[in-house]
Amino acid sequence: MARSLRLFAANRLAAGCALLVLAFVLMAIFSPWVAPHDPAETDLFRRLQPPAWKEGGEWAYLLGCDALGRDILSRIIYGARVSIFIGFMVILVATTAGILAGLAAGYLRGWVDVVISRLVDILLGFPYLIFAIALMAMMGPGLQNIILALAYKEWVIPCRVVRGETLAAREVEYVEAARALGAGRGRIMLREILPNILSPVIVVATIRMANVIILEASLSFLGLGVQPPTASWGQMVADGRAFMLEAWWVSTFPGLAILALVLAINVASQGLRDAFDPKFHD
Amino acid sequence: MRLGKLLERLAQLIPVLLGVSVIVFFMITLTPGDPVQIMLGDQQVTPEQEATLRRDMGLDLPVHERFVKFLGNAATGEFGLSFFHRRPVADVIVERLPATIELTLVSLILAVVVAIPLGVLAAVKKSTIFDKAATVTSLLGVSMPGFWFGILLLLLFAVNLQLLPVSGRVDFDYQVQPITHLLLIDTLLHGRPDAFVNVLSHIIMPALTLGLPMAAILMRVTRASMLEVLTLDYVRFAEAKGLSRGRILFRHALKNALIPTVTVAALETGTLLGGNMIVETVFGWPGLGRLVVESIFVRNYPLVQTAVLLYAITYVVLNFIADLLYTVLNPRVKL
Amino acid sequence: MLNAIRTATVAGVIATALAAGSASTTAGAAELRVGFSADALTLDPANHRNRETETIIRNMYDGVLTRDSNMQVVPELAESYQQIDATTFEFKIRKGVTFHDGSPMTAQDIKYTFDRLTQENAMGGQTSPRKGLLGPLASVDIVDPDTVRFTLAEPWPILPAMLPFQEVVSKAFVEKVGSEGLATQVNGTGPFKLVEWRKGDSVIMERFDGYYGGATDIPPVGKACVDRVIFKIIPESASRVAALLAGDVDIINELPAHSMNQVASNANTQVKTVRGTRTYFVALNTTRPPFDNPKVRKAANHALNKQLIIDKILSGTATPLNGVLSPDAFGFKADLPTYEYDVAKAKALLAEAGHPDGIDVTLDVDGPFKDTAEAIASVLSKAGIRTRVEVGESSLLVKKWRQDPEKTGDMWFTSWGNGSLDPADIVEPTLQTGGRGNSAGYANARVDELLKSASTELDRDKRIALYHEAQTIVNDEAPWIFLWLPQEIYGVSKRLSGWQPSADSRINLHDACVK
Repeated sequence: MARSLRLFAANRLAAGCALLVLAFVLMAIFSPWVAPHDPAETDLFRRLQPPAWKEGGEWAYLLGCDALGRDILSRIIYGARVSIFIGFMVILVATTAGILAGLAAGYLRGWVDVVISRLVDILLGFPYLIFAIALMAMMGPGLQNIILALAYKEWVIPCRVVRGETLAAREVEYVEAARALGAGRGRIMLREILPNILSPVIVVATIRMANVIILEASLSFLGLGVQPPTASWGQMVADGRAFMLEAWWVSTFPGLAILALVLAINVASQGLRDAFDPKFHD
Repeated sequence: MRLGKLLERLAQLIPVLLGVSVIVFFMITLTPGDPVQIMLGDQQVTPEQEATLRRDMGLDLPVHERFVKFLGNAATGEFGLSFFHRRPVADVIVERLPATIELTLVSLILAVVVAIPLGVLAAVKKSTIFDKAATVTSLLGVSMPGFWFGILLLLLFAVNLQLLPVSGRVDFDYQVQPITHLLLIDTLLHGRPDAFVNVLSHIIMPALTLGLPMAAILMRVTRASMLEVLTLDYVRFAEAKGLSRGRILFRHALKNALIPTVTVAALETGTLLGGNMIVETVFGWPGLGRLVVESIFVRNYPLVQTAVLLYAITYVVLNFIADLLYTVLNPRVKL
Repeated sequence: MLNAIRTATVAGVIATALAAGSASTTAGAAELRVGFSADALTLDPANHRNRETETIIRNMYDGVLTRDSNMQVVPELAESYQQIDATTFEFKIRKGVTFHDGSPMTAQDIKYTFDRLTQENAMGGQTSPRKGLLGPLASVDIVDPDTVRFTLAEPWPILPAMLPFQEVVSKAFVEKVGSEGLATQVNGTGPFKLVEWRKGDSVIMERFDGYYGGATDIPPVGKACVDRVIFKIIPESASRVAALLAGDVDIINELPAHSMNQVASNANTQVKTVRGTRTYFVALNTTRPPFDNPKVRKAANHALNKQLIIDKILSGTATPLNGVLSPDAFGFKADLPTYEYDVAKAKALLAEAGHPDGIDVTLDVDGPFKDTAEAIASVLSKAGIRTRVEVGESSLLVKKWRQDPEKTGDMWFTSWGNGSLDPADIVEPTLQTGGRGNSAGYANARVDELLKSASTELDRDKRIALYHEAQTIVNDEAPWIFLWLPQEIYGVSKRLSGWQPSADSRINLHDACVK
């Protein structure tokens, strides 16, 4: 573990990206102190005001204003909360569920494995977005429902990883030893197996988190975003796309924010993967 | 491959499809919103008229009867009428399918063509600046919301530079008698290179938007498996034998390294198929994805149910193809 | 030309040496392209309830009656018509009209068309979903080869206003191809005939040279001007605007108000607008607090700076309303009192109603109108009506506000279309007790009585008087925040002439020419 972390830190690009992600998270946490304006404050007289450096812009509204005259920079800063929260919560819920289901399927085998694996197969048969859209239609809009709609399908990914790793780990000596010592099944799964399969799970979780942020943006594009006046970055991009021809800044800046965050997560997770996967250690 | 194995595969299909049918049926049926009301729109109607419409849609039956009917019909390939088109659902879907398949295939080819050479090079030149640049560039592809990237492409190439058309599959001047319904192939079969280029100019932006994230995924897989293969004994042995570097890479290493790439590509094709409604909307591409999403919003039950079943079948078949390719590339693996 | 350049460039880019020669099979032909927001669902004029479908179909099929650009009902396939008594109309049929296959149109075809629309199970075992648009139409009978008689089960003065929505089909053709065939094949009497329907992508039509000329009241009479018409389906509005600016299409519908400048300032394109027929309003839930109190409803009307929102969000492209009806509608009362924007008055009314500290309410809206609803919410909030916007899918909102037995919301930003421009089609459903679109839950016995009498009143002036009184009561009781009537906005290329948008959102291309 320590060696892996050292390797990760030595990968300057990945480490830098990890710091960037951290910066975004801090920005989200401290947004009331960072944002120059109230993100919900509308002013129709500033409708589609251009960024500061363009004609008609002003420095108090650095990145310009959206269709209701709200400060885009402030909305991006606050929007980080929504986007990161959704990404994090979906992955948290899905990974927890996936770990439990995967451990159960991989360690207990038998009918538990059959049921879980079939369920996984069925869910994989659904296209991701269509499944989420249908669930959103069923449950109605809102932050909580977005998280659930994505998590209902997302959990199968960590589940498959965990199941595979568990199948391998269950035959390893120390697990056999624990079993011989009379440890309960729950204890073996959570105390013996889980810690040893955690690193691939973490790697997958970070990659998927990046993906979930994009998926949430896609849901927003299809009109299934969070409730106003708060907005995720995806929602801002989606709302701004109608103005792309005459006010490109409304959609472009939040799009760049997504790009920066997701790219940083992806590069960092690639670094994590290289660092944690012994196959790549020369 | 043995016949028995094939049959076993087919048997596995059934519980998955059944499960998908059950979930999709109840998911959409339990979703609040009434297709009859949606269809009637802003108009005063009598209760009798409403009841007639409900009967015509088959919604006058209780849910459990509808479910039994749906399963029975689906088993015989009868999917009913689309509520709003009032034509057979199968017809409506088949009309849209070629556009979706064509876009998916072109995106797939684009992704493979970009991803494999980049992945191999990144692995060979591991930890160099090239590796890092290739990694970051490819990650760019998965880090952008597709619709945002699509609109940016549209603004640049269609509006500002006016190099490419804004939307559609082909200009109307080109009348091409359908053979395969895939326009890129049909135009060539008819010996119409001009029409081919026109079709290509239409498909290039949507295919790029759709194919880029996949290229990124494939590149990462190729790079990783190539790295793994390069450390294997037989590659080291070939090196020791003094075979040329290129020969080792492409004759020995790549063939093995491609196995995971092919598997992932086949599975990701399912994702492409089910994920292109956004690209279809931005580029006015007349495919299935957009239709399915619109159908969810207007509660067009028969269409959504049938389309989801179709996606599920495709997914299972693609899985199967992935396995097949696996055996072809690596004869030691027996199905 | 542009396509040629584009093709050449692409060819260069991909280094295809094969790309020689132009493929244009119709060089020199006048071709008009419409960038349109949605594809037709079917081409059967009797088997849909969809505005976009009708717009496309209406260029290939004519109706018994139609509307001119001032929305006046005029004869089309009929030569003339008259009302015989309260429940009987007679239509003289125009002579010399032929279908696209060359067969003449007869009284038989008209009878068949309307039988197919109104009789149960007349369409391959199903009933036309357009039946409801023909109200109490009981039968259509052939009086003589040139005359058909429409008989109503009860008086229904708006029959002529509703007939432009129905198109005449050929009896022989439908019997030959069946209702399934009619979904994708066209044999109409309209100025254009179908060439090809590329589903989801485009509908291609060409001029029908045997066209009888169209309504004599709408000059010019004669064949269509252009050789070919293409409805190109471009659902995303930014893409549609881009296609117009790039010269790909000549007309686009649903041009967003905020893109008007872009289109107007482009050298080759311009904006065309016409007052629409769809009334926008915020339904206030009159069945429960706080909006069960008329004072609170009035306060809401005073609290909204309607003009600011029209100017800023809709770029000035809407007419403010004080009631339900469009100024173009039959029986519109022009002198209804206006709820002036007056924050102090709104606050005073709230205080009188027992809400000195204001109220907290929600405003439901479906996705496409989120911006407008948020703007309304921010203005209302400044006057003490603290409004939270809740975006919902329209299917869900229709259920919540029109179907659920108990109304649970506070406010709904919604609209009701009135293509017939007759009050029966909008006031009754939206304001009569228990009306299908009465989302405010409004109930007033006097209004119900007035509407009931008006719906069967044959005397024009008396009918107007009844609707005027109803409008006065509704304006005073304010079950809605009265909003506006938006314009239909189109972007057109400057090479287009002879075409004007029409209020009912039809795109009639008979008279359109391109240079």
